[in-house]
Amino acid sequence: MKKLDRLGWAEGIRVYTYGVHTGVRVSTVGMLSQISRLLPAGWKNSRRATMQRLYSLVVAESNRRAGVKRMHILYADGERIARDTELDQVLATLETDIHRYVAQTSPHMTFLHAGVVGWRGRAILLPGRSLSGKTTLVRELLRLGATYYSDEFAVVDDSGKVHPFPRPLGIREDSTYAQTNYTAEKLGATSGVKPLPLGAVVICKYKAGAQWKPAPLSRGQGALELMANSIAVRSEPDQTLGRIQKLASRAVFVKGVRGEASESAASILNLLSPGKRQEKV
Amino acid sequence: MKKGEYPRARVDCLTRKFGDELLVYDQQRSVGHCLNPTAAAAWRLSDGKKNPSELARMMTQQLSAPVNESVVLLAIEELSQARLLVESEKPARRTSRREAIRAIGIAGAIALPLVTSLVAPTPARAASCRANGQPCVSNAQCCSGKCGTGGHCNA
Repeated sequence: MKKLDRLGWAEGIRVYTYGVHTGVRVSTVGMLSQISRLLPAGWKNSRRATMQRLYSLVVAESNRRAGVKRMHILYADGERIARDTELDQVLATLETDIHRYVAQTSPHMTFLHAGVVGWRGRAILLPGRSLSGKTTLVRELLRLGATYYSDEFAVVDDSGKVHPFPRPLGIREDSTYAQTNYTAEKLGATSGVKPLPLGAVVICKYKAGAQWKPAPLSRGQGALELMANSIAVRSEPDQTLGRIQKLASRAVFVKGVRGEASESAASILNLLSPGKRQEKV
Repeated sequence: MKKGEYPRARVDCLTRKFGDELLVYDQQRSVGHCLNPTAAAAWRLSDGKKNPSELARMMTQQLSAPVNESVVLLAIEELSQARLLVESEKPARRTSRREAIRAIGIAGAIALPLVTSLVAPTPARAASCRANGQPCVSNAQCCSGKCGTGGHCNA
């Protein structure tokens, strides 16, 4: 870290978001506007002198001799976390890592790995690991009129309400897993601002040709699934379980295998239709 | 006294109630368990001082339905497998689900004890993974699970 500190940094930014203080410093001038677009929405300038995690981005100089690979390098504290000739790739790593760090260490919120949409004043959570088809389903739900909250994290406060984590939807368009980013507005939807109580949790996995016949889950089983998608349960189990308990108190839980998103999306929204019974504590 | 005859629940786990079910988080192993009402009652009453017949009597009172010893033994078996009891050895007397169903009858008033377990994810596993070609420093970062020698995720 001391070696890094000696490298002469051109500019930097101190970031405060969800109760977490992080910093980013870069070796060349003019990068900060690009970096600020990668930060969680609603971030503010931190006034702290020391950051919980400091990113150092060494941007390769362009005037080196031909035939020599120019590497951009990203460090988190003293550890190198990315090294690439493409700056965009290194910035993607910065975005992923800063989001994950905030999700892992936020004292104010619990982050669950889930897609989230708002419907009839309640949140629908789609928990799942990467490649489980969350974003595809979120996109389809938006097409049917749902409000966009997140395709990455459900952010839960102490009262059990779900806050938006509105980054652009990262849609994987081919088998390389590469993502293209689209804002909700570009997809014709609106982004939610207000925290919502939870209405339904849909645990599903994509399987080509499968028919969507979800089975109800008990609240305890559903809470267990939420636990299995929480970022900080290992480090903050008491706080995480407490928030999951409040979150799950009035929700419907279903689990199943789905085929195409267009075949299951309407049925998912129907879970919150006025005629459906809402479980009580 | 045989080991396992007086089951004792671990007291170092975090618990949260969800209706009649109990969510138990084992911090030592980073595993969460959902105990259905029958398993939850058995676990709560397992203080190391009651044998299965005493547990059956108390569970009958708590669940307001007849609970026989086979059901208790099955609950102890499930809890033991989930490592939620202090004794790591298997109970001396064992029973199977089939025996327990036979004992309570098909139209039994209570559900058979059930413990469902899921491992808590590491933060890296719980967050989105990186696409092929993106820089990486460990396999866990990549969707493919493979971080190549060049420092990029590959297929």
